[in-house]
Amino acid sequence: MFPPITLEILVLALGFILLLAESFSQSTSKRSLAKSAVFCLAWIFALSFFVTSAPANPEPGSFWNFYSADPVSMVFKRIALLTTMAVLVMALEYEKVLAKNIPSAREGAGTGEFFILPLFTCSGLMLLASAVDLVMAFAALELVTISFYVMVAYMRGSHASLEAGVKYLILGALSTGFFVYGITWIFGLTGETHFTKIALKLASLQGSDTAILFALVLVLVGLGFKVAAVPFQSWVPDVYQGAPTPVTAFLSVGSKAAGFLLLLRVLEPFLGVASIAHKILLVLSVLAGATLIFGNLAALPQNNLKRLLAYSSVGHAGYLLMAVACVGVAPSALGSVGATVGFYLFAYLLMTLLSFLVLTIATQHTKGEEIQHFNGLSKRSPFLAFALLVAMSSLAGVPLTAGFYGKFLVFAQAVNASQWTLIALGTVTVGAGFYFYLRVVAAMYWAEPADASPIQVSGLSKMIIVLLVAGIFVFGVNPKPVLSAFQTQQTPLASAH
Amino acid sequence: MNPLTLNHYLLASGLLFSLGFAGVMLRRNIITIFMCLELMLNAANLSLVAFSRFHVGADGLPNYNAQVLVFFIITVAAAEVAVGLAIIVALYRARQTTHVEDIQSLKF
Repeated sequence: MFPPITLEILVLALGFILLLAESFSQSTSKRSLAKSAVFCLAWIFALSFFVTSAPANPEPGSFWNFYSADPVSMVFKRIALLTTMAVLVMALEYEKVLAKNIPSAREGAGTGEFFILPLFTCSGLMLLASAVDLVMAFAALELVTISFYVMVAYMRGSHASLEAGVKYLILGALSTGFFVYGITWIFGLTGETHFTKIALKLASLQGSDTAILFALVLVLVGLGFKVAAVPFQSWVPDVYQGAPTPVTAFLSVGSKAAGFLLLLRVLEPFLGVASIAHKILLVLSVLAGATLIFGNLAALPQNNLKRLLAYSSVGHAGYLLMAVACVGVAPSALGSVGATVGFYLFAYLLMTLLSFLVLTIATQHTKGEEIQHFNGLSKRSPFLAFALLVAMSSLAGVPLTAGFYGKFLVFAQAVNASQWTLIALGTVTVGAGFYFYLRVVAAMYWAEPADASPIQVSGLSKMIIVLLVAGIFVFGVNPKPVLSAFQTQQTPLASAH
Repeated sequence: MNPLTLNHYLLASGLLFSLGFAGVMLRRNIITIFMCLELMLNAANLSLVAFSRFHVGADGLPNYNAQVLVFFIITVAAAEVAVGLAIIVALYRARQTTHVEDIQSLKF
């Protein structure tokens, strides 16, 4: 048995060892780096089932005041590990495009770090899942964000990638500025940085509602950028389109999961303040409504598949925010909303990784990312076309898929909370979603291919695709295992009340 | 008696933050925008130190948690600058410009 922090340390150590190996090895092929990273991550994933649990009452000043290892955060850690493995497999498929877009003396030189940087993001995500202190949460969030800056701008020879990198850098740093200033005010109001202690102090503060709201709005602006909520979504389409495809996939899953996890953690102490709780919920509902409308309607005219998935990512942030806006004022209500958000994020992860993996493989043969380039994909590779069909149906919310059950849970929360406006908006936008997701399916199955040469898929990618497709169906029919993993216990904050 | 109160520091830090934000919104040179972003982070640092100084605990010492957070922010800002300037330099090499108007190839 190990203390849980061993997992993060192992991932970081793996990253550093691979960086050293990359610098000093003679071989020009970087594929072995990614393969050994995937292999080691699989071992770390296995180790995660043998960690000790956190002490119930940590002594003051100990490490456990910053870091918790409750079952829910362990689930998030495992998901981060699995996602990173899938992203690395995607990066292997992407290697040729990457090498073409990096100016270098030798073929493939300078591509090594691309396979190592996801490990640092992964350790940041894992630390973030365990953070129960604002300082820890801030440091972990920045570890995630800064390694994303490098990965988005990684293709130095591609104007699109550099432009996406600069846009992400500026807006990411702006969101950090707002988030930090919000933390500052939270500290100023309470004198604490630990979430539980903040909750206790906030509940006893009298007559400073404006200052509390000010602090929370600053933090919400910062996190709004991370989860791509309207009106802070302007970076999403450009960055998603310009970034290397595996990074786009990681960004849409990792950044969103990190943002929502932190959003729930930060909101909890504030919802305990009875006098402002309804104002917070109103703000969240407005954000959710705007995000739903913008994300789904702006996706309608898109022809570039990556851009379409970017707007779809904004739309899905809308459904997630809709669930968050249904948090009751009582702290115990957060438990079920947390499970809903957790399941939705999990389903979103399966279908997003699947669509980007297919996109990575297919675009190398179709020579483009427009929807018309996918014409007749079913004739060139029935396997890839079927995988993308499953991903698109799940994103749209066809019954029996994980995406459908996620949406179902969100709407059930909304009905419980009597959020009728949001339900109406959600229904309309789900309809819009069917149109633009199924347009891709129609192109694949009903249009004639311009070039009918078959597409080969490597064994490792085939395995991951099969697993993801199976996951979408299995958890769409029987969501119990995932739901109960997120429900086993309330967050440590809630149980401390 | 100390003529400077917490409010003075908060006002100064609020001004710094607004200046930084206004710069990000209005300036058109990426390097300047980046400097303004650093200004926003430093505004947070200033108010954290002020909050720390004026949150005196029962033992008569300031609350040092905030000062620890300041060190984290400084470190993160330094890492951000290192990565950010590298990206901006790479962009300049490829496009010979650091003006936001010239960087609009990704569009609807």
